[in-house]
Amino acid sequence: MTVQSLEAILLTGLVLGSLYALISTGLSMVWGTLRIFNFAYGSFMTVGAYVAWTIADKSALGAGIWLGVVIAIAVLIALGMLSERILIAPFIKRRDVALIAIITTLAASLFFENGAQILWGPRLKQLPAMVQGNVRFLGTMVDLQDVIVMISAPIVLGLVALFLYRTRLGRAIRAVEQNRDSALLAGVNVPLIYSLTFGFSAGLASVAGVILGITRFITPTMGDAPLLEAFIVVILGGLGSLGGTMVAAYIIALIEATCMTFLGLYWTPVVLFAIMILTLVFKPTGLFGKE
Amino acid sequence: MAPPLLEVKDLHVGYGEVQVLRGVSIDLQDKERIGLFGPNGHGKTTLLKTISGLLRPWKGEIRFAGKVISGKSPRELVEVGIIQVPQGNTLFPRMSVMENLLIGAYADRAWKKRRQGLERVFELFPRLAERKSQLCRTLSGGERQMLAMGVGLMGHGQVLMLDEPTLGLAPKIKDELREAIQQIAATGVPMILVEQDLEFLLALTDRLLLVQEGRIVLEKTHASSEIEHARILEMYFGGLDQAEPDLALGGKIT
Amino acid sequence: MAYKLAAWMRMPRVLVVIVGIVLLIVFPLINTSEYLQHLVIVALLYAVLACNWDLTLGYAGVFNWAHIAFFALGAYAAGILAKSFGVSPWLCILAGAAVAVVASVLVCLPVLRVKGLYVALVTFAFGELCLHIVVSFSQYTGGSQGLVLIPPITIGSYSFMQNQDLGYYYLAVALFLASTVFLALVIRSHFGLSIMALRDYEDYAISRGVPLARQRLLTFMLSAIFTGATGAVYGFYLGVVSPELFGFGYTATLISMVLLGGISTLYGSVLGAFVLTFVSEFLVSLGPWRYVIVSSIIVGVLLFYPEGVYPGLQKLFRRLRVHAQPKPEDTVKGT
Repeated sequence: MTVQSLEAILLTGLVLGSLYALISTGLSMVWGTLRIFNFAYGSFMTVGAYVAWTIADKSALGAGIWLGVVIAIAVLIALGMLSERILIAPFIKRRDVALIAIITTLAASLFFENGAQILWGPRLKQLPAMVQGNVRFLGTMVDLQDVIVMISAPIVLGLVALFLYRTRLGRAIRAVEQNRDSALLAGVNVPLIYSLTFGFSAGLASVAGVILGITRFITPTMGDAPLLEAFIVVILGGLGSLGGTMVAAYIIALIEATCMTFLGLYWTPVVLFAIMILTLVFKPTGLFGKE
Repeated sequence: MAPPLLEVKDLHVGYGEVQVLRGVSIDLQDKERIGLFGPNGHGKTTLLKTISGLLRPWKGEIRFAGKVISGKSPRELVEVGIIQVPQGNTLFPRMSVMENLLIGAYADRAWKKRRQGLERVFELFPRLAERKSQLCRTLSGGERQMLAMGVGLMGHGQVLMLDEPTLGLAPKIKDELREAIQQIAATGVPMILVEQDLEFLLALTDRLLLVQEGRIVLEKTHASSEIEHARILEMYFGGLDQAEPDLALGGKIT
Repeated sequence: MAYKLAAWMRMPRVLVVIVGIVLLIVFPLINTSEYLQHLVIVALLYAVLACNWDLTLGYAGVFNWAHIAFFALGAYAAGILAKSFGVSPWLCILAGAAVAVVASVLVCLPVLRVKGLYVALVTFAFGELCLHIVVSFSQYTGGSQGLVLIPPITIGSYSFMQNQDLGYYYLAVALFLASTVFLALVIRSHFGLSIMALRDYEDYAISRGVPLARQRLLTFMLSAIFTGATGAVYGFYLGVVSPELFGFGYTATLISMVLLGGISTLYGSVLGAFVLTFVSEFLVSLGPWRYVIVSSIIVGVLLFYPEGVYPGLQKLFRRLRVHAQPKPEDTVKGT
């Protein structure tokens, strides 16, 4: 194994890890607070990318990528809150809410993906890059855009952490996650928290979607594979730990980068799925899980 | 006589299909402290949960300062000023002492007064002040109970309901906690206190109510004198003899 | 008096079942539309799939996302054996069932005792894993294009494709009837009662000695038998098997059949399968709108008719009888 390939793996791992961290954090938040798994998460990414495209692309509104990101986040937060009202809130008091949520979010993902196809057509699209050019890093030339991806996770997640630990609302979200009844007795508006958390996670998904739209392509089903990757990360990281999710993201990214180099395209997903299944079997709470 | 601050009228409540409270009526005057005691599983906690909005009444009414509050959500009741410190696991394990207390002050009314609230709590419980940034789950049992009470106090309530605050604690900690409750009571806040220890209830409260089989079967206003204590204890046991011979102080497992 | 009433209540249902069976048998003789017959065949096969899925979902209370994978694996196994190895179609069908059962064991072993949500996640991962393996071994499976040119079922020199797929039709009917009888027997057995007890009162049932792990494994295996066999027949009938079977779209369609009909009602799933097959067919021409509508139906049913349409119909019939007689007791949920 040459030094070259080690660097390449590390680099891929860092960029991919950052992407996975962004993708998975939203999913992890919903799992921790609402105790459900959101199968529509991938489609949130997709819609986010499409909305950003509509704002940013020259053939649409042409207002530039940065405005596109901002609007996409806003739209997805609203969409997420609305979705929670329809798909989760009516069932939240039931014992089998997690089961029902699987079905409703599955339906929602179909709704959004096919809706996106109706609204924007099935052909590939792409988002304009945020920056052009490249730079020397770890001995190789790296796209500046990739650098942005690499640092975006720590920045975005840092902001999220700030929100959760330093604001009244953020603390309320953590409180609901840790003890719902006590939060109720303290006067927290728990249904609103559920809605906000879901919307918030959709906003995060849209950021991930935009990045995917820049570095890969936009298609109606672009969210399917990232959804799986997010699942694996969140399960490995564990319930209720955003820090754990982040670490797991980089671990999975590095494993994936390594497997790609040595095992190739077909066996890498098998390894990742095996990791997921093994985690669920032997340590269902994940590496850093709290319950 | 002024209208009661909190009125519970003919309350019927249960879980699922099981009825627990069968027509409970209670009055709480302003600045009054009442104690609830009785065997486990007979409705004391259920009563508190219904007053604080976690449970919906099947029948009956609850009023606060004349206005109907039965059926409202816990959040609305906290805004009204009804604060419950429940039994058992009531805190946020991965949040610090300070964060727990801040959540206690989440309601708008309480949030404005949070600085005062923190001062008061740290004054009452200096141990908590020492452990401000410690995570809740690293606290001892007694410290956690103190924190639970502190969180309740941060709500700046008009009515404070404590459900077995000294349950399961070592005697020394029990005494510390009881002293704190005395101090809180001395500020004049109306209280409903649920406890197994009759002596403590007698010392602290103006009125005692025995809850049995979902009903109030005994109500005694008392002065804290030895003779009164003895009479009430006798009456408690006597009341038990008449009703259920196998009930003992400390509760029957239902 | 109540006993007689209950017996009388059951009468119409038995009558409906008999009439239904008779209709199914004579249908190809009176029907002239090949397209309609095709739809009925597909509906029958999907009904088997939906009903068997209801065993794990409605009666055992776990979401087995890999159920369609059992179906697809049965189809692929049978197709590969028939096409690449020339095995007799009847053995292929048995192989399809066997492969599905093996898969059910493999997927169930990791989740023998875990909570419902984790069952869903693991089975989801398993389904995706299957998809991946199938696409990877494209030499045998045709990769992402799918398996094509599967030879038809034959008895001697008679091919089932003759007489406008008559053979397939009756095979589908036979499968459907066999599966339904099988499931009805399972549900009404001691075993069926025990898994319903686990679903509704898990802790209590376990404390009374009901073995959670064993019952769950058995439920998975039982639900896989006819599923795999039907997958095989499906593959033979259509002549192709595609990896799309592993996708969200099929899962959603199947789930809506179970939901629409009513979870944990056997006849409900049949009803749901028929209704949705026909509705879905009409929607195919609409392209992506099809799934928009299907997903809306799913959410709509859950929001407004959480018990499904079939129990709704039951209630309706009961209300019609109230005029004549006093209301009999509700039937036990799950029959």
